[in-house]
Amino acid sequence: MIEFRNVCKKYPNGTLALDNVNLTIGDGEFVFIVGQSGAGKSTMLKTLFREERVSSGEIIVDNMNLSKLPNRKIPYYRRKLGIVFQDFRLFSDKTVYENVAFAMQVIGESNQSIRRRVPTILSIVGLQDKVNSFPNELSGGEQQRVALARALANNPSIIIADEPTGNVDPKMSLDIMNLLIKIHKRGKTVIVVTHEKAFVDYFQQRVITIGDGKVIDDRVGGMFDE
Amino acid sequence: MSRYRFRNSFAQSIKSFFRHGAMSFASVAVLMACLTVLGAFGLLVENINTNIDTLGDLNKIVVFCDTSLTDEQIEELEIQVRKLNNVEEDNFVRITKQQAMEEERAKYPQFKALFDEMEERGDNPYPDCFEITYENNEAVSTLKYQLEHMDGVSKVKCRDDLASKIDRLKSGVTFIFGAFLVILFIVSLFVIINTIKLAVFARIKEISIMRYVGATKAFIAIPFIFEGILIGVISSGIAYFVEWYVYSYATKSIVSNYSLITVVPFSSINGTLFISFLIVGVFAGIVGSVISLGKYLKA
Repeated sequence: MIEFRNVCKKYPNGTLALDNVNLTIGDGEFVFIVGQSGAGKSTMLKTLFREERVSSGEIIVDNMNLSKLPNRKIPYYRRKLGIVFQDFRLFSDKTVYENVAFAMQVIGESNQSIRRRVPTILSIVGLQDKVNSFPNELSGGEQQRVALARALANNPSIIIADEPTGNVDPKMSLDIMNLLIKIHKRGKTVIVVTHEKAFVDYFQQRVITIGDGKVIDDRVGGMFDE
Repeated sequence: MSRYRFRNSFAQSIKSFFRHGAMSFASVAVLMACLTVLGAFGLLVENINTNIDTLGDLNKIVVFCDTSLTDEQIEELEIQVRKLNNVEEDNFVRITKQQAMEEERAKYPQFKALFDEMEERGDNPYPDCFEITYENNEAVSTLKYQLEHMDGVSKVKCRDDLASKIDRLKSGVTFIFGAFLVILFIVSLFVIINTIKLAVFARIKEISIMRYVGATKAFIAIPFIFEGILIGVISSGIAYFVEWYVYSYATKSIVSNYSLITVVPFSSINGTLFISFLIVGVFAGIVGSVISLGKYLKA
């Protein structure tokens, strides 16, 4: 479970990016986070993966208070998350297999375990035939699927996708979203930050709308109100 | 660290070393030059110290007894001199007038007839003397004063001025060597920091990905530290061989032109030199890497 309790985030330049945010995301939920540019969505994600500290308030993730988390424990916390970015952030000099395997190497998985699990994960995202391809040999949609596979590599309980379809063509975007729904149905908590009104309206999941650093709407089966 | 991770990190560091060929080469060249200059200075200091030591025992005083003293009076004087502070008991030598004459006879065989005649006439001009070794260079002037004012002492011969000048010279040379060591180490560190920063900057995207998937600071840092060590090891190896070549060439030149100068053979110091180069090179590599990674490893 993820809880934001009276969370405020003020940057050194005085910008109040999050203003008394209170929300709870339960285990296994699928949530869209929407809002205009500069609303605070990215800051919310950054505080969630502890790239930024909150100025006040608390964020509790699976009974872990992120505000009190010592720096040395942050890498171990991040292994509970699977993060997908708009720009994919793949290693250009590693193959699809190596990109996914890397996430497992980081946590010290054995070669045997890696050899067994990577093909399974790649088959979930439909890239079992692209094992030896490099990112520059793949389409945008395929690259994003590699990123998703890497996010799943360590079996995290929470998947966070920041504009996952931003650099992908419309047809592939739907595939990516369907993949995220598929991952969600496997029991993962999925949080998707997006500007794609069509997907938000289509999938009818919980929609949290952020505006001026505040939660201005939060409903299940919500629509993207601009 | 597992064997796999060690191998992987090492492979990454080699890859990065060659990927930034020009900067890596520059780092190796500068560190090698610094080590060579440092080594040259160290060898110079070693040779200076060796040659100073071969000047002879400078911490000795020779006390000449009055020729009018009897044997009993000389023995009494010896007891008094031995009791003085700063006199090394174990190295106290009494040279009788007879022994002195024999030493001179051996030194100047061409005057054998003169020495024989003196001996026949019972006319030995050489006084009894004491050869004293002192312990503390700073207290030698006090000892000299005491000896000069003792009854029965006709003359005190002491090279204390020269000894203290040479001591100061040795201290000065050692100090300058130390200063060079610090300066050259800082220069080397600076170059390595810049090289590693470049390597880090080139991989900044990669580092951020590693942080997002939960890599620890050690996991991220180790390949860069290995790269720093690699620079240090390669530089120290090249510096050693350059030093060997240059020193051998300089030695031949000095020995053929200045026979009075003692040159320390390279074989007697090559082990120490190599290990010193390696330690300084590797240390500079590690410290440089850690400093350049600093801010990129924030959580």
